[in-house]
Amino acid sequence: MSMVKLVNIKKSFGTLEVLKGIDLEIEKGEVVCVIGPSGSGKSTMLRCINNLEQITEGEIHIEDTLVVKRANNKDVEKGNSDLRNDLGMVFQNFNLFPHLTVLDNITIAPRVVKNADKTAIDQKAMNLLKMVGLVDKANEYPIRLSGGQQQRVAIARALAMDPQIMLFDEPTSALDPELVGEVLDTIKALAQEGMTMIIVTHEISFARDLADRVIFMDDGVICEEGPPEDVILNPKEERTQNFLNRIN
Amino acid sequence: MINQIQMRAIFDGSVLTIKVAFVALFFGLIFGTLIALGRMSKNKVIKSFSWFYVWFFRGTPLLLQLFIIFYAYPIIRIEMTGSGVEMNPMLSAYLAFSLNCAAYSAEIIRAAIESIDHGQMEAAKALGMNYRQAMTRIIIPQTYKRLMAPIGNELIMLIKDTSLVSTIALFDLLRTVKTMASATGDWVYYIYAAVIYLFLTTIFQIVFDKLEVRFGVYEER
Ligand SMILES: Nc1ncnc2c1ncn2[C@@H]1O[C@H](COP(=O)(O)OP(=O)(O)OP(=O)(O)O)[C@@H](O)[C@H]1O
Ligand SMILES: [Mg+2]
Repeated sequence: MSMVKLVNIKKSFGTLEVLKGIDLEIEKGEVVCVIGPSGSGKSTMLRCINNLEQITEGEIHIEDTLVVKRANNKDVEKGNSDLRNDLGMVFQNFNLFPHLTVLDNITIAPRVVKNADKTAIDQKAMNLLKMVGLVDKANEYPIRLSGGQQQRVAIARALAMDPQIMLFDEPTSALDPELVGEVLDTIKALAQEGMTMIIVTHEISFARDLADRVIFMDDGVICEEGPPEDVILNPKEERTQNFLNRIN
Repeated sequence: MINQIQMRAIFDGSVLTIKVAFVALFFGLIFGTLIALGRMSKNKVIKSFSWFYVWFFRGTPLLLQLFIIFYAYPIIRIEMTGSGVEMNPMLSAYLAFSLNCAAYSAEIIRAAIESIDHGQMEAAKALGMNYRQAMTRIIIPQTYKRLMAPIGNELIMLIKDTSLVSTIALFDLLRTVKTMASATGDWVYYIYAAVIYLFLTTIFQIVFDKLEVRFGVYEER
């Protein structure tokens, strides 16, 4: 089953065209890492997939079902937008809710959106906290946590909504170097459980080790894609080679 | 000095002052929140209405608004429908002060909401919440701490502004003591009034300072 399918996605902000026709299909259980220079449209692509930005043109399918189809910045066919609930998102700046404890951060969306039963969802949240290794922080406020801990809570928070696909936008870029590992380990554990994931990252060695497929984006298009052995170790495109040389 | 009847009158005047200020703050905050959301709405009609509302009620004197409601409205009504109404002065005061307070509160609340990081709304939406859920559960609760200082300030302004109701036949604290002072020729009544105003404003200042700390516990490392 294809979990996410993008067909000729375009996105402009005013006159600035940021995505210039993206085609991408992701299978169940696949881990896709997206790399590319700053401003190439990596975040915009993720944000379009879960509707934080509205696409100007193209089609988005989730789990083989049309979610949205647009042309000239207008809907041309009604899709089933409920499928967006199957997407979980993790942000570069964590975006935890500062006024809620760690536990409430994780349970608020299930309670508010799905009317989840309080005791059941609390139990589930504690299990998720166990998975990310933060059971003892359940009643702390986010400000008392390190960046790495906050990001692991953010991952647990997204998982509490039972997503089928996880989107990560540079999950370790805001972290001190010594805290990067703990977050990457959590993501690795998810990959081992078979979660379908799209991860925008600057951690090239992480992408090399974990990704089933690496996508190199440049200037609003997918410039090169394939298994990490090809894209990272033996890139064919000159732009990919330049990018990798620059960051190594 | 002061006799029992005067004490009673000063007490009643103070109660009226407090009542008008609190009713205005209560309805002003509720209505002000709606106006604030209206100002940020994508709907052009709602947006312009909210803008116009704030523009009018902040741009004209509260005294004028009070006169429009108490004196002008009955006349307008007679001219339009032929049937007159007698405006209740207390109700007019509540209405004018609430509408006015809503305009000021709207701007305070809007500024507070806009000061919350955009990432909060995005995270809420990414978790499947709709706009209303995100606002009521995520965004607005984060504004409480920031709202306490300006709202405490607004309450103190209201307490002092209630002296305007003397123009529509009501006896607030200031008018009560002024009547006594002119009847007896003794200025000490003004001192009583000053003390009571200061007492009230000090109490509210302390309460709002405490609330600010309480709503901000999650910000303490
Ligand atoms: N809301 C917006 N309004 C206008 N322009 C925007 C907006 N969001 C992004 N852009 C522009 O779109 C382009 C792509 O931005 P995007 O954030 O997708 O890049 P990125 O590949 O994620 O870069 P980085 O590695 O720095 O995160 C940039 O030129 C950016 O300035
Ligand atoms: Mg980005």
